[in-house]
Amino acid sequence: MADSDEDFVLESSGDERGPRTRGSRRQTRKSKKEDASAAPRREKWEDIQRSWDTVVEAADGSIAGAVIGLLEATKRKRLLRDTTPIQRGIIRHLVLVLDLSSAMVEKDLRPTRFLLTLRYARDFVTEYFEQNPISQLSIVAMHDGLAMRISDMGGNPSDHLTALQEKAFPLEPKGASSLQNALEMARAELFHTPSHGTREIFVIFGALSSSDPADIHETINALVDDRIQIRVVGLAAQVAVCREMVMKTNDGDDSGYGVVLDEAHYRELMMAATSPPITKSESTSTPSLLMMGFPSRTVENFETLCSCHSNLTKGGYICPRCSSKICFLPTECPCCGLTLILSTHLARSYHHLFPLKNWVEVPWSDAHLSTHCFSCHFAFPLNPPPTSPSKSRQSHGLTTKGFEKGSQSQNNSTQNAVSQRYACPDCKTHFCIDCDIFAHESLHNCPGCQAVPASVTKGRANVSSTTTANSRKLVGHNMKTQVAEATKMLEKSKIAPGNGTGSSMDVDV
Amino acid sequence: MDNVDGTEHYNFKSNPDLPTLQVIIIDTNPVAWELLKQSSGLGFPDALSQILIFANAHLAFSLSNRAAVIANHLDGAHFLSPAPPGSDLTDPDEANLTPEQQKIVSQQKASQYRVFRILEDEVRASYRRLIKSTTVEDLEKNPNGSALSGALGLALTYINRVCFGGTGGRSGGAEEKVKINSAGGKVDDTGRMMHAKILIVSVTPDPAPQYISVMNGVFAAQRLKVPIDVCKLRESTVFLQQAADATGGVYMEPEHPKGLLQYLMMGFLPDQLARESIILPTKVDVDFRAACFCHKKVLDIGFVCSICLSIFCQPPEGAVCSTCGTKLDVSSLENIGKPVVAPPKKKKKKKVTDSLSESGVASAAQSPAPEG
Repeated sequence: MADSDEDFVLESSGDERGPRTRGSRRQTRKSKKEDASAAPRREKWEDIQRSWDTVVEAADGSIAGAVIGLLEATKRKRLLRDTTPIQRGIIRHLVLVLDLSSAMVEKDLRPTRFLLTLRYARDFVTEYFEQNPISQLSIVAMHDGLAMRISDMGGNPSDHLTALQEKAFPLEPKGASSLQNALEMARAELFHTPSHGTREIFVIFGALSSSDPADIHETINALVDDRIQIRVVGLAAQVAVCREMVMKTNDGDDSGYGVVLDEAHYRELMMAATSPPITKSESTSTPSLLMMGFPSRTVENFETLCSCHSNLTKGGYICPRCSSKICFLPTECPCCGLTLILSTHLARSYHHLFPLKNWVEVPWSDAHLSTHCFSCHFAFPLNPPPTSPSKSRQSHGLTTKGFEKGSQSQNNSTQNAVSQRYACPDCKTHFCIDCDIFAHESLHNCPGCQAVPASVTKGRANVSSTTTANSRKLVGHNMKTQVAEATKMLEKSKIAPGNGTGSSMDVDV
Repeated sequence: MDNVDGTEHYNFKSNPDLPTLQVIIIDTNPVAWELLKQSSGLGFPDALSQILIFANAHLAFSLSNRAAVIANHLDGAHFLSPAPPGSDLTDPDEANLTPEQQKIVSQQKASQYRVFRILEDEVRASYRRLIKSTTVEDLEKNPNGSALSGALGLALTYINRVCFGGTGGRSGGAEEKVKINSAGGKVDDTGRMMHAKILIVSVTPDPAPQYISVMNGVFAAQRLKVPIDVCKLRESTVFLQQAADATGGVYMEPEHPKGLLQYLMMGFLPDQLARESIILPTKVDVDFRAACFCHKKVLDIGFVCSICLSIFCQPPEGAVCSTCGTKLDVSSLENIGKPVVAPPKKKKKKKVTDSLSESGVASAAQSPAPEG
């Protein structure tokens, strides 16, 4: 089951791009074959790759080294992405369309497609708002030929999460799914969104057909006119109309359409939609200046009603324009309509603007420079025999913690294909694979550049040189310094009154 | 069907009582400590002793508790304990002692709990080496130096290694891997083998150029559910307030720094489990206001570029963002201050222009969606 899915996806994600009005699965294959007949070659399914063929035994018969190599390769696969600073749509408006047709009862994804989709949708909501704090989301379901709204367009993750609770979920998968109805509803929801933000629809499509009331191609053209971008995740197989609408709404690029192979791949595809989309053409959004309020937090002695949910709360944020009390940020003031955010929400989006460079694998020839990971002290394997520990720059041994000792002795005995070291191109510090992933996925800093004195300035110089090279890229260093200066001022202004009223202990001599 | 399933009453979510890793980040900027000593009488040696007592108290709670100490020095961050593998751990001062003094020292050490001694020896030896390598020029060049983001980065990667086995606290897709990791010990549902918390003892002002990288570190800590506690002995700070607030840590500015140990013990010692049931002595009013990039004014209401999120106190000249150079559309801002009037009714097909978006009319005028 899984194998046949895989074969098909591999083939269909090929490079043919021609617009196809209505192509079934059969047709796709046929045309592909015709192309291939010009130069006879082996078909994809004839080349069988057995995972055990690629494993090479070490001299002593152990395969530990090869296994580590494979593990790292899979970890690494996720990591290598384009790191040039590119303009991205930071302020997003996204409609998540879930399929609740009878196809979702299938159990090829455990426990069922429906339950797994709900679970992943909750993860998606959390991750989406973590990555895009000043964005909006809405959830729509395709159920029994109709489009049903699950949650309204809003910026509060908890609203969406409660709507997606398994036990309280109002709908059971039933009937056919209608793409057109869902797209029209999503289009109507995105109609009023401001022009500076992105407009996106993200469809989870489990069925293989769509039963529509009218011509779906008209809807697709209308979506293109409204500059709405569509991404689709298919759960069964590629559907031609999905591919067509992804291509048409993304300037001919079909990378936003993926068909899942298994549960992990499903999750990967969903999470890929959480990072802000690259702004491809100027027309997708008009840059503009947004008026935003930075409210201050208050604590009250008595409970008062908040103006957003009419709940009794003992504190909250006060809108700087109309002084109404709000219990959750970021939001739009329910009273005066001002967008209210915290400065930390803006800071959360900055890492999209300054991505961390990919680290490079260190060849064995340079591996002697380090014996352990710079930041987590994970011991690296020593070289294959030629380089003895005494040659390394730092003498080896004298570890204090048990886990380091254990892993060290283990690694000493194996000869590894990879050096397991990864170096930051700026500071040349060596890290382990886990720190590499952590730094790129969570931290968005290089611990080496930040912690090692000399490299700090060097790193900055690199940022400025890359940014001037391309006009589309942001002026990163300029902004960094501006942020810095601004915060400095903020700090000063904050300290001045503090010294007067606060404790005299803090005053400098 | 699922709704009437009552088994959840019997299957209590096992929340294993995990040990805790305490990471302590200490400012070791000599200039700042000297200033603190002049103003409040607390010098670095005293403070370090008190912090070590605090660390020992933490270690004494459980045999499997662990502690790490990181120095946030003038221009870089360094592990004091555990010292990087392979580093020289002999105390440079000990070599100069007379044999009799050495005897006394070793006698003192012999009766000390081994875990405490290892920590203390490592911290003191590494610190001495760090100070020996610092020159007067370094101090003069950079009297307010601090590598807060680097120290946070080291702390978080170390926590990622020790507490999560390097998996970064990812649940879901990584479930299978976690089970392999857990072969040895107790693990909770996210694959966490230990709890962790970070304590920052800070005497230096905010390192303004590191704002973005510090905030990145704070958000990473938030993802790992690691609270950042802050003990600010000197120079009130905005970064660290926001850090403590975002991660659910304690922020304290002791009034009497000389009694540091008391503050540490009462405010920062409780672990994650205990913190659920006690009221923390943290600061509640956090300054979240932003400063504009153009005049450095602190703002309540500002204008934000939709491309690069720069903050301005008024629409920039020529409507061009001074940071990213984008031509901005300010037409929507022209009617600010004027009363909002509902626009005259237009033909339905007409495309909505931006004039609605900012004044808040947009959200009110939700059109009914076509169903079916």
